[in-house]
Amino acid sequence: MATVSLRSLSKRYPGAENLAVDSVSLEVAHGEFMVLLGPSGCGKSTTLRMIAGLESISSGELAIEGRRVNDVPAKDRDIAMVFQSYALYPHMSVLDNLAFGLRRRGIERGEIERRVREVAATLGLADLLKRKPHALSGGQRQRVALGRAIVRDPKVFLFDEPLSNLDAALRVGMRGELIKLHHRLGATMIYVTHDQVEAMTMGDRICIMHGGKVAQIGAPLEVYRNPADLFVASFLGSPPTNLIPSRFNGEALHVGEATLRLPRSSVQEPIFGIRPEDIRIDGAAPHTEGEILAVEPLGAETILRVRLTGIAADVLVRGPRSVNAKVGERVPLAYDLAAAHLFDPATRKRI
Amino acid sequence: MRRALLLAVLTLFTAFAAGPFLWVATMSVRTTTEISLDHYAWPEKWHWEKFPAAWFNSAYNVYFENSLLVVLGAVAVLTVVGAMAAHCFARYRFRANRLLYFVIFSAIIFPPQITIISLFQILVQYQLYNSLIGLTLVYIAVQLPLTVYILESFFARIPSDLFDAARIDGYSEWQIFWKVSLPIAAPALATTVILNTILLWNEFLYAVVLITDEAKRTLPLGIQRFMGDQLEDVGMIATGLMIAIVPVVLIYAFFSEKLIQGMTAGAVK
Amino acid sequence: MIRSSVDRQPWGAILAFLLPAFTVYTAFTAYPVLRTFWNSFHKVLPRSEEFVGAENYAALAQDELFWRAVRNTFTWACVSPLAEVGIGLVLAMALYARVPGMRFFRIAWFTPVLMSYVVVGIIWVWIYNYDWGAANALLRALGLGALVQAWIGDPKLALPSLIFITTWMWSGFNMVVLLAALHSLPSEVVEAAELDNCGWGAKLWYVIVPLIKPTLLNLLVLSFIGKMKIFDLVWITTKGGPLWSTETVSTYVYKRAFEWTSFDLGYPSTIAAVWFVIVLSAVLTLTWLFRTRERLEY
Repeated sequence: MATVSLRSLSKRYPGAENLAVDSVSLEVAHGEFMVLLGPSGCGKSTTLRMIAGLESISSGELAIEGRRVNDVPAKDRDIAMVFQSYALYPHMSVLDNLAFGLRRRGIERGEIERRVREVAATLGLADLLKRKPHALSGGQRQRVALGRAIVRDPKVFLFDEPLSNLDAALRVGMRGELIKLHHRLGATMIYVTHDQVEAMTMGDRICIMHGGKVAQIGAPLEVYRNPADLFVASFLGSPPTNLIPSRFNGEALHVGEATLRLPRSSVQEPIFGIRPEDIRIDGAAPHTEGEILAVEPLGAETILRVRLTGIAADVLVRGPRSVNAKVGERVPLAYDLAAAHLFDPATRKRI
Repeated sequence: MRRALLLAVLTLFTAFAAGPFLWVATMSVRTTTEISLDHYAWPEKWHWEKFPAAWFNSAYNVYFENSLLVVLGAVAVLTVVGAMAAHCFARYRFRANRLLYFVIFSAIIFPPQITIISLFQILVQYQLYNSLIGLTLVYIAVQLPLTVYILESFFARIPSDLFDAARIDGYSEWQIFWKVSLPIAAPALATTVILNTILLWNEFLYAVVLITDEAKRTLPLGIQRFMGDQLEDVGMIATGLMIAIVPVVLIYAFFSEKLIQGMTAGAVK
Repeated sequence: MIRSSVDRQPWGAILAFLLPAFTVYTAFTAYPVLRTFWNSFHKVLPRSEEFVGAENYAALAQDELFWRAVRNTFTWACVSPLAEVGIGLVLAMALYARVPGMRFFRIAWFTPVLMSYVVVGIIWVWIYNYDWGAANALLRALGLGALVQAWIGDPKLALPSLIFITTWMWSGFNMVVLLAALHSLPSEVVEAAELDNCGWGAKLWYVIVPLIKPTLLNLLVLSFIGKMKIFDLVWITTKGGPLWSTETVSTYVYKRAFEWTSFDLGYPSTIAAVWFVIVLSAVLTLTWLFRTRERLEY
């Protein structure tokens, strides 16, 4: 159990124009499950590898349990990592894979045996101890990779997209297993993924990264409901947030034909953001109306693509499954203003 | 700190590996008298005239020409013949296929002694002894196993669909070979050509046994002859060495990647 | 595989493709091998041949020089591979750490391999020269003048000196191959070892070497075969001397066949035949010993 603290951590690859990781600051508390979320190339894996010590730190400070570890070699940081490709030793049996790190640390034999047996039992690997990795299925290999980390009893666990090589069904199962594991061990875990579902369901807090920088850090629902900028708003959530150009005119905000009573802001022409589930089909008190372009019945709900009148913008509306809608029909729409956000098109941040 | 040490060791080894050649290169433009005074001095005057002197007066032009004829001739025939056999082994299924392939392939291990005495007898018998043609034929046989080995694995990797399509288009077997296999295998062919050229350019044993006629000597033989001479004309020999090395260096300069790959192919498992 | 529409192999084409290669092979490889074996049972003089049964073989068993040559060649073939591949591995590891100028080093170190043994031999004869050769000059320059030797003039040092030359030549080759093998290793496995408290030594021993074992063994066998065949280098430098300390089977065969005045080609053929069997057996044994039992999938 340990805290991990990143202060303005940056990474520049030699010869590269841009920073791969740009001044990332992050505080991970004892026993917290922190998820680094972002699209590929956003620098999340690089950040993780810097925490692990597999990449050198260009500038900034990294501390584990309050101790500065920038120059401490990876093996002395007391962290364990589960790699995306599992990185099992192909020439060693499962037992040796699990025991290797312990043996290298000079832990006495009886203790090693005890730990290995315990972890193998927990992860259901007891029957596979003599096998080599090539004789295991993907899910089994993943568990061995997990076991190898657990058996080390490290201060911090690092996960680099461990579930992305598994098929969908297995992934859902393993997600649950990892959550249970976290509760059982109570360990500090830092988890990198590009999958929002994993981030939302597993994280105590999510750190969203984009272009090497931190976009927002917060609890899942917090980040979902109050995105800090346009990127977070459009990245989180499926289907994504609707973003419509709008204009302040006097006291009210004009969004296409709609006139909305919203507090004035310094930005004259902000972008109006509202999630599909926050738009209702409401004949009683509509803000505006639009023409249905497409209907996607998903079984549990229906997604409608509606072209707003007065403006060339489409919105996606989450409607109940029973909604009766046909392409070409006109529907009245009402916005839930409490859940709406305005963004400055220049800075891309929320106002 | 560790990095600096590493670089130091690497630079030392580079000096170790390339040093001897640099030394010969400097000696090749100094006269023997200059050299005997100081073997390791940097050339004061660059005696480029030593090269034409060696070329014409010491018969290096003859040796060079002989080597050129033999090597180019052997490599040309070798490539075609080897490619034909490799194509056949790779693409046709018949019972004797693997056996025949093994017969040719296994010859790579044969020590030259097992054939050289008999080759001597055969060439003498058919009056091909001391002839460039005789040597060329032997060279073809010597490099055939390696060539077939390298090309066979390449031909085998060509997707069968290409061949099926060609057959449907009415191509004959020979046309398939010329128009489908060979063009696609161009990189591998280039590799074997470069490889064989260098190996045969440097070949010594077969040449020394099968050629004694002064006018027919290949370059390695020519150089060796000067070593035996009483007054070792170090300067002249150095120039001769450079003449021998230059073609190889040129090939290496342009095709280093291909060459390295070709020579190390099959060694990585 | 080409499937004929009539499902009949185009024998005409197959024959045509194989004929040139096999003609050359039969005439200049297969037949000579058989003829050498035939020679070994005869006394083969310029104008006559006399069947002598196993007489040559009996003489060979007693031939001190032959066995000396065999010992020398085997020593060379066993020591050199270990040195060449060992140094090659160290160099490859050095470059694996991604030093600047990697490509330059790779090209520079590969150069010795390209040169003819004749060229290499002459250069090293000069390097080993007692009076002005680079080896002794370096020792003297370092104040170690007491250690200067007649490197290839001393029967005790000649063979090691030659082995040094082939090591110099082939280390670069091995390095290139091993570097390629190292790069094909999954980097995450090596990183996992890093996290498992492995320094460079432990990484090498427990993870890297086991994973590149097939390539290492392959290189050892290749080097072994090469040294068993060696001729050019010895011929240019020492011609088998001094006092047969560098006599190899190849130089011995050459001398008996073409330099000794007996003109009998039968006896050297016997040597060649026996040597052929020895080399083949050695290679087969090594290959069998080194076979990898399981596929290292990664």
